[in-house]
Amino acid sequence: MMNTWALSALWVGLALLATLLAIWFRVSTALSEIVVGTVAQLIIGVVLGTGGLLGNTQWITYLAGTGAIVLTFLAGAELDPVIFKTKWRESLTIGLAGFFGPFLGCTAIAHFLLHWPIMPSWLCGVALSTTSVAVVYAVMLELGFNVTEYGKAILAACFINDLGTVIALGLIFSPFTFRTAVFVVVSVAVFAVLPFVTPWFFRKYGGRVSELEAKYILFLLFALGGLAVWSGSEAVLPAYIIGMVLAGTVGKDHSLIRRLRTLTFGLLTPFYFIRAGSFVSIPALAAAPITVIVLFMAKMITKSAAVFPAVRAHRYDGSAGTYYTLMMSTGLTFGTISALFGLNHQIITQAQYSYLVAAVIGSAVIPTMVANTFFLPRHLLPHPPATRLSEQAAQQTPAAEEV
Amino acid sequence: MGSTVFVGFQRILVAFDASPHAEHALDVALSMAGDMKSKLFVIAVIRPPEPAESAEFHAVLEDMRERYESCFLPVRERARQKEIELKTDIVVGHPAEQIIHYADTIQASLIVMGKRSHTILHRWVLGSNSERVLKYAHCPVMIVH
Repeated sequence: MMNTWALSALWVGLALLATLLAIWFRVSTALSEIVVGTVAQLIIGVVLGTGGLLGNTQWITYLAGTGAIVLTFLAGAELDPVIFKTKWRESLTIGLAGFFGPFLGCTAIAHFLLHWPIMPSWLCGVALSTTSVAVVYAVMLELGFNVTEYGKAILAACFINDLGTVIALGLIFSPFTFRTAVFVVVSVAVFAVLPFVTPWFFRKYGGRVSELEAKYILFLLFALGGLAVWSGSEAVLPAYIIGMVLAGTVGKDHSLIRRLRTLTFGLLTPFYFIRAGSFVSIPALAAAPITVIVLFMAKMITKSAAVFPAVRAHRYDGSAGTYYTLMMSTGLTFGTISALFGLNHQIITQAQYSYLVAAVIGSAVIPTMVANTFFLPRHLLPHPPATRLSEQAAQQTPAAEEV
Repeated sequence: MGSTVFVGFQRILVAFDASPHAEHALDVALSMAGDMKSKLFVIAVIRPPEPAESAEFHAVLEDMRERYESCFLPVRERARQKEIELKTDIVVGHPAEQIIHYADTIQASLIVMGKRSHTILHRWVLGSNSERVLKYAHCPVMIVH
């Protein structure tokens, strides 16, 4: 049994290695950490024949869980409330379609095609219902759509989609007892007052070296997270909603968000993602690769089938709609959070967890990998609608600084 | 049959990534723009890690924007001293694609960029931006070693 500091050194060393790999291969650190966790668990398990990375050690579980909670809060805090106010109708339609399509579709496929029991099938539906706000936003920036009404509505839809995922994760496996009612009532009350109390509190006591703001945020996340777990729910549910309701206030405080990011990336999320990777069983994946392919295809097809008609219903351009539909089919963070929740609560087996994480990684990686391998200069194509929209967007973009 | 008279590169685009090679390319472009009275465009491309993950993605965007903005300050001063009309911009996406797209948008007459030395593995996995720009650009491309 390794002592605490030796185990810490091993995990932080792996985090360092994952970061270097992410820099060299220009991939996200989260993806790199998951892969490093999987490979390290396999190698250390084989070489030392022990529990490998010892991912269920209590303090590692705590750091990893905190990482998931703070990361979820940061994701929620990136919401632009103004977009919601102006485009709520389109966003709600597309976002709900983006959630319910793969949620119900993947649940059905897991249950009827893969013959998973009903609870693992529901978990599968939740894990594969996610989308990635960041991927969609990155594509928008690239094409200049971020300033268009269309782009803003799609971006807001991604938040609705992920909100559906965390609500489903938080409530679908909940026992629905008196505790659940207490959790819901208290949470709603806190969410209602937070946007008013928080700015006042920060103005009165904030801006000091004692990092009152960070402690306040962590207190909220832990308190409501604790209440959620007490009620049988999941701590990331209140974390995401706290992020959303504070997006217009705390989310605008770039200095605070940066400090939280430093804490999150420097210490917390490496433990979360490496731990998530360490539970992936390579032998299970090797034994049933078809299952991974089925889950991956299920996600892509059900997401497309649900989102595309919703996008078209709002008279958005067909080609661009297809593109965004595909981009909405990604989602690494919430996918792994959902799968890990299932494993921790023994809703799914380690093999099912491995299939889900592999499918989630595939949905996040394969589209961009294909795009990079077969580099396609989109602007050279004969006037695709997407390019025309991009040009319109570029005209709306404020001019760069001129000297 | 009429002949076309070359009047110099009127609109020079420099692809800048804050590397020593890009600095060298910028020096060359500034010199050319000063001699030819060209308008100079300098763009920096932020390439997000893939797949983009929310908090990390925003952190990368903010950090890189700040970094490039600080790099552009001395460039603007040098352009002012040489009385060169300069426009700077920061875009997001695949570097080669963004450089070519930007060159098309501003109707650049020349693209200047630095040549970075990559390992075989790096070139195989990620490719070379300068090679891609050379292959797809609609205007002359100068690679500065």
